[in-house]
Amino acid sequence: MTTDANAISSSSASNPSGGRRADSIFRRFNVGDALLGLICRTSAVVIALMLASLVLVLLSSAMPAIREFGLGFLVSREWRVNELERPLRDAAGQIVMQDGEVVTETIKPAFGALPVIYGTAVSSALALLFAVPLSLGAALFLVRVAPTLRIAGPLSFLIEFLAAIPSLAYGIWGLFVLAPFLQTTVGPAFQNTLQNVPGLRWMFFETVTISGKLVERPIPMTGRDMLCGSLVLAIMILPIVTSVSRDVLKAVPRTQIEGTLALGATWWQSCIAMLRYGRAGLFGAVMLGLARAAGETMAITMVIGNNNQINPSPFAPAQTMASLLANEFAEASEGLHRSSLLYVALVLLAMSLVFNIVARRLVIGTTSPAGH
Amino acid sequence: MTATMTQLRPDIALRAPAPAARGASAVTYPIIDAIKRGETPEPRVHASVIDETPILHVRDFQLWYGPSKALHGISMPIAKDKVTALIGPSGCGKSTLLRSVNRLNDLIEGVHIAGAIELNGESVYAKGVDVIGLRRRLGMVFQKPNPFPMSIFENVVYSLRISGERNKSVLSAACEKALRQAALWDEVKDRLKSSAMGLSGGQQQRLCIARAIVSEPEVLLLDEPCSALDPIATLRIEELIHEISERYTVLIVTHNMQQAARVSDYTAFMYLGRLVEYGRTADLFQIPQLRETEDYVTGRFG
Amino acid sequence: MIRARTERRRIFSNAMFALCAACAGVIVALLLAVSGYLVWIGAGSINAAFFTQIPTGDLNDPGGMRHAIEGTIILLGLASVVGIPLGVSAGVYLSEYQHEWLFAGPLRFIADVLTGVPSIVVGILGYELVVVPVAKMTSNSVSFSGYAGAAALAFIMIPIVARTTEEMLRLVPKSYREGSLALGASKAQTVLRVVLPTAFGSISTGVVLALARVAGETAPLLFTALGSRLLTRNPSEPFPSLTLQIYTYATGPYPEQKKLAWAGILVLLAMLFLVNIAIRLVATRHASTRLGKA
Repeated sequence: MTTDANAISSSSASNPSGGRRADSIFRRFNVGDALLGLICRTSAVVIALMLASLVLVLLSSAMPAIREFGLGFLVSREWRVNELERPLRDAAGQIVMQDGEVVTETIKPAFGALPVIYGTAVSSALALLFAVPLSLGAALFLVRVAPTLRIAGPLSFLIEFLAAIPSLAYGIWGLFVLAPFLQTTVGPAFQNTLQNVPGLRWMFFETVTISGKLVERPIPMTGRDMLCGSLVLAIMILPIVTSVSRDVLKAVPRTQIEGTLALGATWWQSCIAMLRYGRAGLFGAVMLGLARAAGETMAITMVIGNNNQINPSPFAPAQTMASLLANEFAEASEGLHRSSLLYVALVLLAMSLVFNIVARRLVIGTTSPAGH
Repeated sequence: MTATMTQLRPDIALRAPAPAARGASAVTYPIIDAIKRGETPEPRVHASVIDETPILHVRDFQLWYGPSKALHGISMPIAKDKVTALIGPSGCGKSTLLRSVNRLNDLIEGVHIAGAIELNGESVYAKGVDVIGLRRRLGMVFQKPNPFPMSIFENVVYSLRISGERNKSVLSAACEKALRQAALWDEVKDRLKSSAMGLSGGQQQRLCIARAIVSEPEVLLLDEPCSALDPIATLRIEELIHEISERYTVLIVTHNMQQAARVSDYTAFMYLGRLVEYGRTADLFQIPQLRETEDYVTGRFG
Repeated sequence: MIRARTERRRIFSNAMFALCAACAGVIVALLLAVSGYLVWIGAGSINAAFFTQIPTGDLNDPGGMRHAIEGTIILLGLASVVGIPLGVSAGVYLSEYQHEWLFAGPLRFIADVLTGVPSIVVGILGYELVVVPVAKMTSNSVSFSGYAGAAALAFIMIPIVARTTEEMLRLVPKSYREGSLALGASKAQTVLRVVLPTAFGSISTGVVLALARVAGETAPLLFTALGSRLLTRNPSEPFPSLTLQIYTYATGPYPEQKKLAWAGILVLLAMLFLVNIAIRLVATRHASTRLGKA
């Protein structure tokens, strides 16, 4: 074996306690060690560079839009890709004529992210609303009941497998099965029962400007709308929220449950105690589902209708950040349009990173042994 | 089996603790008390130890885990070709001292040392020491058997393979020799290619001994090698230690005093990171010079 | 009074018990209905031509998806060549060099952050970082390519593989490392001969799962590989992938192409199912032979 005195000489410096620092064998020169260290450190640096490049590239490409719109981008409702020429109207809505010709005004392209932020927020929130109660109930069943019935294994396997199904598959199912069903059965059923209920008219009618006049018209039932989008998202996030919640509940110490049962609690009361004990981790599971839902692209693009508008009705088509990117990025030419899309991508990235980081912190805090 | 064991050291019979302690219950241990106050009293090292040829020499060795000091100025020679046992209550630093010899403590964050340990006169902690080369000269066996998840054969020849030995016949010969020395050959010779994880705990530990002696180390370090084993497996390992002590210097940590009495030639009694008394095993167990040692080996304190 | 309240609580508890069971039942039924429907329709649409033919251009007889299947395999291969070694060695760094430079902690965080990046954003990054610069270099107007698509897939794979590798290496008992080092092995020898082989089975499982995950990705390929109807094996051209082809056909207007999309989904699901089953079988056998006794 070769030795290299220089490689470790630095480690013999004295320390406050008066002893010598033990030479670390890692610092000894050894070709194999040096090579392995080089490879592993390089890979580590590559991972760091990946994140850096992601942030830097998006930031620099989005810079023109950031400069142009600033933070107002996030609250602006306009999304006009092309320059628009239209007849100028006066205050009464009459077309202005001059010398026997229609006077036109030119409207510049404008970009604002509010509709897609709204679409993402509402579709994800609705998806959570549908999915979380189901997932929590199922997780309780998996932890407290399934093991005694010896079906915890197969059930868990099924849920893991379903969590692995690509979103494209859920999207196609939504497009060909759920959307037609909503269009022909569920939508009309709601319409018939609810449209005459006072205060619910907004669900089925929208107000649009046609030829300068405000017109109220029924929202066409296409099946591809906010409701369909959030239902597909809900189905997609069910497996992941269920399996993470199950892990969190599994980590609740047995003594917690036995303690409550010993005090005479009913089955459900002990479940409540369990949910309360694991609440941080369960919140993490929900955040993980939210992150999935917010970042989901393919399924949502196929079923949400892709209309860049803010309409409170669940039967109106909408657009999310991800679906906007999927729909428009390929066609966007260089310039403000592409730059604005990158701005949207940046917002989407920031949002899902926050959700993910919060979720991970909460879930790891409760499922790892160190958390207790 | 038991008969063999008593034959090993016929000169040593453990003294039963005297039921009525001498005098009243007011027994005091000045040295232990001094140690508890944080002092480092001069250890009682018998002349018989000094007369031996040392292979290892620990010189005023101190070790810290971060801010807390685990070893306080240990000085002791370890006799060549003899079995030396380190005994003492848990937390006395005996395992730490053992792991300092092959510098395994280097792996722990925040460890630093002072003083020296010499192997054949060369300082183990000197600048520029080839730690890997050092470890190849020292075999080590751990508390829990830790065979690697490979075949029995690959486990035994591991240290030869990492030194670059590729010759199949050299490896086989070395493997057989080591397994024979570890008294495991007859049990595993037909399944050298099967996984070592399938062996029983005692067999795994003997495999670990074979793995440690295959490269013919100068010193064999045993860190409570029987603590995870049942009594019968323990007995076999003790017999084995006795046999291999004819060829190797053995330094063994044990918290089992009977075991120290059965297998070792020399015994060092440690307490809270200090060496208390060190001498021939027979002397230490029969005619210790310190009341503390006598009461510890007879089980009256500790 | 008290007894009545207890009784009410008991009834409520039983009701909630039933509700939880119902939740589990609904989830399983729903998901089985979805995947069952996909399999059912897919099975009715699949035929030998799906695997052997490429798009014909004839709307009534659109051929098959051989090009897309091959494309996906090549994309996965290219992504693996970069992603697996990088991911595994980064995982080794996270586990075996964890005290170094105080960098491993932040790096673990970075890897976690990267696994949460929406895949469409990865696609856009691939466009901005590979497609546009290559186009500028070659002075083409666009340079969508298989390489860009593979890079996007590798981008998704690397953090997953790194974190899985790290977690699996942490399961390797410390006593193996100490045992090897005490026998005079160097760190590299310890890692390569003892630690990695011990965790090999579980790391491969993680790698296969990561591959299965990216095999189903569409969004990262939209603006990188773009898709193609040609049987191409040249990754510097726009490149076909199964998922892209399914997406194009499914959202298009032609019924025969939609049938192919259903068949494609079936193939994807079947592959995933086989991978999951295989991993489960191997994992159960593996657990009992390797780490079980450690």
